[in-house]
Amino acid sequence: MNEKGSRLSIIGSIVAKDLREYRRDRLWTFLTILVLVLMAGLFWVLPDTVEETITIGVTGLEETAARALADDGALDVVPVDTVGDLTAIIDDRLQAWRTPDDSVVVALEPPSGASKVDVTMGISFPPDFFTDPTVASVEVLVSGAVPPEVRTALAGVVREMAHAVAGSPLPVSAPEALFTVLGEDRAGDQVSVREQLRPLFVFLVLLMEMFAMSALIAREIADRTVHAILVTPARISDVLAAKGIAGTVSGFGQAVLLLVAIRSLGPSPLLTAAFVAVGALMVSGTAMIAGSAGKDFVGTLFYGMIFMIPLMIPAFSALFPGTASPWIRALPSYPLIRGLVDVITLEAGWADVAGKLGAVGAWCLALFSAGWIVLKRKVEAT
Amino acid sequence: MIVEELRHSYGAVEALKGISFEIRQGEILGFLGPNGAGKSTTIKILTGQLAPNGGRGSVLGFDVSADDPRLQAQIGVCFEEKNLYEAMTGAENLAFFGRLFGIRRLDSAALLSRVGLADRADDRVKTYSKGMRQRLMMARALVNAPQVLFLDEPTAGLDPVSSDSVRRLIREEADRGAAVLLTTHDMAEADELSDRVAFLNDGELYAVDTPENLKLEHGRRAVRVRVRRGAEVTEESIPLDDPDASRRLADLVSAGQVVTIHTEEASLSSIFIEMTGRELEG
Repeated sequence: MNEKGSRLSIIGSIVAKDLREYRRDRLWTFLTILVLVLMAGLFWVLPDTVEETITIGVTGLEETAARALADDGALDVVPVDTVGDLTAIIDDRLQAWRTPDDSVVVALEPPSGASKVDVTMGISFPPDFFTDPTVASVEVLVSGAVPPEVRTALAGVVREMAHAVAGSPLPVSAPEALFTVLGEDRAGDQVSVREQLRPLFVFLVLLMEMFAMSALIAREIADRTVHAILVTPARISDVLAAKGIAGTVSGFGQAVLLLVAIRSLGPSPLLTAAFVAVGALMVSGTAMIAGSAGKDFVGTLFYGMIFMIPLMIPAFSALFPGTASPWIRALPSYPLIRGLVDVITLEAGWADVAGKLGAVGAWCLALFSAGWIVLKRKVEAT
Repeated sequence: MIVEELRHSYGAVEALKGISFEIRQGEILGFLGPNGAGKSTTIKILTGQLAPNGGRGSVLGFDVSADDPRLQAQIGVCFEEKNLYEAMTGAENLAFFGRLFGIRRLDSAALLSRVGLADRADDRVKTYSKGMRQRLMMARALVNAPQVLFLDEPTAGLDPVSSDSVRRLIREEADRGAAVLLTTHDMAEADELSDRVAFLNDGELYAVDTPENLKLEHGRRAVRVRVRRGAEVTEESIPLDDPDASRRLADLVSAGQVVTIHTEEASLSSIFIEMTGRELEG
């Protein structure tokens, strides 16, 4: 066997040994399976629809006027008889129920065949509203959890509604709003919670792999088995390469398995796999650092958490609409998460995400190199 | 194995202060010294795990500083700590290390049989006793039929049966032609196994010679005879260089008064203390 073949054979033997050890570690095997099953199960339990209608309870408004308010489809206006009932609904002491004949009943328990109506806010119009809407005051009922900025915005909406209901034009002519949609316009094609969570699930699986691999590395150092390897023809570079390969193969395999289970490989499975592979390599690098720093299970868990928390932030930020803050975009996992969202959810192609793939590749190279250096120094020092 | 003026420091601490010795094929060199004497540092350097600060070491013609895998391909190392893969079986441990040496089909059964573990081949190492682990460590050091063996305290903490088994293996390997560097605290073991012993203390070599030569050089040519006279047992020392020695011994033996006769040669332990001023243990 030539020198190159010998090196590959040695690396292959160490990878096979690492994967066998990983498989035989009951704790990590259990946690790995648990996370995979949990993520896949949670995915299928989550709703795959998006609620686009805001439901408002109103009092003091004739039903025809209420229906007129709801004309554009974005609002579902539910007439409620009294302010007391409306207050109780917003306060969660009573519920609004829609009966089969499309009327709304306020009660604690649902009438036969009725479905629950989620009323998010209430507006109480005074009796003299229609005679003099400019001087009348309108009471807006919101739950205590609604922040002040939203309350101010709601007040503006109510003012406009009042003008619309009273048939009076606004005192000034408002300029026409010109919308510039940044990114893909998802109006009418909003992303469900289930779809938003996909990159988070994939990333959680990769992070679980990071913990498992760092525990394996820490044990190899603590038990000094790595020294037994280093007095054979194996070089330290072979050991490090094997750790990287074992971690990447394991993480990649699990993440792809999850994506298959939740049918989320996207329209371009190769592109999805490319992102997952680079992500798996990135977490292998962090596993090397955490495994070098921690001496035992608790130690690796502690150092693993130090990496996990900042790496998770972009995954959570993907759940919320809007542009991520600059500091979130600066985190290594951001291009990975955004890339996965673009490829899997927004059906982006190679050209669309080339920049993100390049960025995550650069981060991956940096983290893996750092892991390589730290682990090498640790092995040499022990 | 040729070691010339080997030096190494850990920061300001000089672990090796220029030691020199040789080991021939088929020879066992007992490397004796207390903890911190520099034994492990010497082994680390000679097995390519540590670069020396000075001097040179050559094993089987390979410079130990050159980091040449061809050197590691021909050596076997038995560490003091039991660094085995506990989740793997004894046979899997050996097969894994065999593959690192390029041996695709290692006869693990034969090796395990040599160390008395044939019936535990498929049991995970975590179920092994201390003695069984040590024997597996020995088997692992032999997977590549090494030409040079480095054995660091191979019998430390073992029961007499396991110790004997390990010692027999060491002797068999030397008889096969392997050069053996054996570090031990056990003077009786060093005396029994070693063709030569080296005394190492504070990074310096104090002596490298056969146990017999050291004992002759540092002991007395005399016998201590315990004699029964009536109800009383007394001791007397008879110098062998005394011209009257043979007659005195013959008289005691023929009178049937001798209880025991012992030579008064020095022990390796006492010679070590005499030369270094330190106990071997600790």
